[in-house]
Amino acid sequence: MEQLFNIDLEKISSSTKKEALERKKNFELFLKTGFPNKKDENWKFSDLNFIINKNFKQITNNDDFKYDQKIKLIDDFDHNNIILVNGILKSFDIKFEEKEKLKIENLKSNENFNYQSGNNLQNLNKALSLGGFNIEIQKDYKCKKPIIIYNYFTSALENKIINNSNQIRLNQNSELTLIEYNIGEKSKFLKNTFENIKIGKGSILKNIILQKTKSNGFFYKNISGNQDYNSSYQNFILSSGIKFNKIEINMNLEKEKSNCYILSGLNLGKGEHQEIKTQINHLAPNCKSYQKIKNVLDNESNGIYQGKIFVKDIAQKTDAYQLSKALILDDQAEFNAKPELEIYADDVKCSHGSTSGSIDENSVHYLMTRGIELSVARKLLINGFLSEILENISESKLKTFLEKSINEQVNGI
Amino acid sequence: MKSSELKNQEYKYGFSTDIENFKAPKGLSEKTIKFISEVKKEPKWMLDWRLKAFNRLKALKEPNWQKPKYPKINYQDLYYYSAPKSMKDKPKSLDEVDPKLIETYNKLGIPLNEQKRLSGVAVDAVFDSVSVATTFKGELDKKGIIFCPISEAIQKHPELVKKYLGSVIPLSDHYFATLNSAVFTDGSFVYIPPNTRCPMELSTYFRINASETGQFERTLIIADKGSYVSYLEGCTAPMRDENQLHAANVELVALDNAEIKYSTVQNWYPGDKDGVGGIYNFVTKRGACRGKNSKISWTQVETGSAITWKYPSCILQGDNSVGEFYSIAITNNHQKADTGTKMIHLGKNTKSKIISKGISAGQADNTYRGLVDIGTKAKNSRNYTQCDSLLMGNKCGAHTVPYIKNKNSSSTIEHEATTSKINEDQLFYCNQRGLNQEEAVSLIVNGFCKEVLQQLPMEFAVEAQKLVSISLEGSVG
Repeated sequence: MEQLFNIDLEKISSSTKKEALERKKNFELFLKTGFPNKKDENWKFSDLNFIINKNFKQITNNDDFKYDQKIKLIDDFDHNNIILVNGILKSFDIKFEEKEKLKIENLKSNENFNYQSGNNLQNLNKALSLGGFNIEIQKDYKCKKPIIIYNYFTSALENKIINNSNQIRLNQNSELTLIEYNIGEKSKFLKNTFENIKIGKGSILKNIILQKTKSNGFFYKNISGNQDYNSSYQNFILSSGIKFNKIEINMNLEKEKSNCYILSGLNLGKGEHQEIKTQINHLAPNCKSYQKIKNVLDNESNGIYQGKIFVKDIAQKTDAYQLSKALILDDQAEFNAKPELEIYADDVKCSHGSTSGSIDENSVHYLMTRGIELSVARKLLINGFLSEILENISESKLKTFLEKSINEQVNGI
Repeated sequence: MKSSELKNQEYKYGFSTDIENFKAPKGLSEKTIKFISEVKKEPKWMLDWRLKAFNRLKALKEPNWQKPKYPKINYQDLYYYSAPKSMKDKPKSLDEVDPKLIETYNKLGIPLNEQKRLSGVAVDAVFDSVSVATTFKGELDKKGIIFCPISEAIQKHPELVKKYLGSVIPLSDHYFATLNSAVFTDGSFVYIPPNTRCPMELSTYFRINASETGQFERTLIIADKGSYVSYLEGCTAPMRDENQLHAANVELVALDNAEIKYSTVQNWYPGDKDGVGGIYNFVTKRGACRGKNSKISWTQVETGSAITWKYPSCILQGDNSVGEFYSIAITNNHQKADTGTKMIHLGKNTKSKIISKGISAGQADNTYRGLVDIGTKAKNSRNYTQCDSLLMGNKCGAHTVPYIKNKNSSSTIEHEATTSKINEDQLFYCNQRGLNQEEAVSLIVNGFCKEVLQQLPMEFAVEAQKLVSISLEGSVG
């Protein structure tokens, strides 16, 4: 493991001596067991150690944040923007909002982070993290327009690793739509991100993660969050074209009437590997969770869904639902699922479903009898299959934009 | 069943038979294995096989990924062989069998006397580590069917045993399977010749009697080309305040066009209301559909044991082969179950179906854990899985952990699972019709389990239905 890394911890700026020591300690801790492999239940279907060793000879820490190009912004709808270059906050523009209601800053310290134990990537993150962004929305403020985070990766990233830690806070009765948008050069790099979310009483966070362009990056993202009374977290993941991507979401529904939605549409091309892993903890009564995971798998791709619903004994009247569906287009493609339920309360409605198979031949036949040729008919069906996850998005311009992204993806098949 | 009857029915098989035992020295060692092999008068190849397993065992560790945790088992503090003294010289006919043993089986409702027995079921009765008697042997012989204790098969049909033993569950599969391979004592052996339909149900009744003893039985069923057999397994044990280990291996082999139907009604002593005592039921059951168009169907009703930990599985190697798994797992008081199945699709056009019903009451924990794996070459394969859980009270738990793997585009997997409590409307409707709470619950639960119960052979179905009601006794209200 040590041979794989060529990292000089001294070069990472630490504000205090204690921090420098912490970094050293965590890095040693990480090196002890290295990247997780398939013996770890969490990584059963994605052997990260194997994947990294196959693709990387030597990994160095990224220290390059130079950026001279102008990023082409999305012009389909009005939005605020935050620009990150190689994971570090470069600039932001919140022209549509009241400035004092929004706090956006560079997150330096990740001490308050609520990490899960036993995750070795967290040790790596703690050792090398250079921070990330911190967003806080004041009480009773509802953002007028969505914020898009442009996550730009430069060409200088070849064989480098980026470690980020981000924080999102929504105070009481606030609202935010946050879109994460990855763009950049085609360098081969690793990104290890930990994100912490707190959603206050009556607040709503819509979190859209969008990846359209091809990328040679290897991404791991861990989102963990806590939800207060009557709050809502809605996560949409639309992703295609990433070599390796694992998104892990751990959400605690701590107070009554909170709800959590996770909707994801993955479209995997040649040799791509993507995993969504979720754990929704129902810790209070009357909460709702809803997960819908759609995968389209082509050409030697590998799609994975591991979802867990945990219901504590006091969490009566829980309504939890989990559905994973996969369309397998190629014999070399593979879909693995582990939808798990762990339930300790009796007055609950919990169910899950999982299906995988090829495109329904009858539907294709029906479309062909209507004069639509085979390839178009297939694309039409795949499009319908993926678009289903957008049903909860109410803003029409945003919805059109996302539909357009799905269209582009499907046409690429 | 009347509710008053329900209340008074404790574990009715909890008596123990006072009989003089002949035991192997305590502990797990090469000496013990040699002792067992010698008592059984086994040929050398069998002893070598056992020792090979024992050597492998030394390198293995007990698995620990299961949900129900248990205190460490001291393998050196167990008896690995215990048999009634009267069985030392094998009795030639039923008249020579110790009347105490016959009495035990009568009490359990399994008369070994052929005249008194329901016709149509042949029984092999296993008491601790030996087979006491096998009924209807003569009639089965006429058809060429071999149904005998496995220790007898090792001596009389070594070619079959050598060929198939360990072919489905390899010698070094996992800790408990390997332990069984090293120290297995008795169990049933069935061979159905080609193109033969077994005229009656074959059945084995397992009874643990001696204390501080583990039961390690081994069952091997081979259905040759074009044959059919239905096999039943029942089990009980006395009430004791110690935990006893039962680690069995069951191997099934179905060749071309053959079908095996394997039903289990497991009613080991579950421990008392506070979770003291009971059997640890750690069993490895696996069937291989080797031939084309073969079929293996597992049906299990799991009501007993302190901990049930088993996954009857099907390896669908032959093209067009079919695997089925129907299960009811009921846990009450402090019982724990971690059970399910594995369906491994290797051949083309293979199909599998899984219906699992879990019911938890009291402080029990019930887990369904299953694997459906469709390989690259298993074109046009299909799986359907349904697992439903019913919870009674908020001190118990119900968990579902399915692993689903699909590696080709022409196969389809469907999986659904639900967890809920007994529908209030249904309860109200039953109450309104004059059924009291307990009767109503028993009726609804039986309805919930119906899909599985109807898979059981007639003789077992009635028994199993009663068992379902009794196991849930006291869990309502």
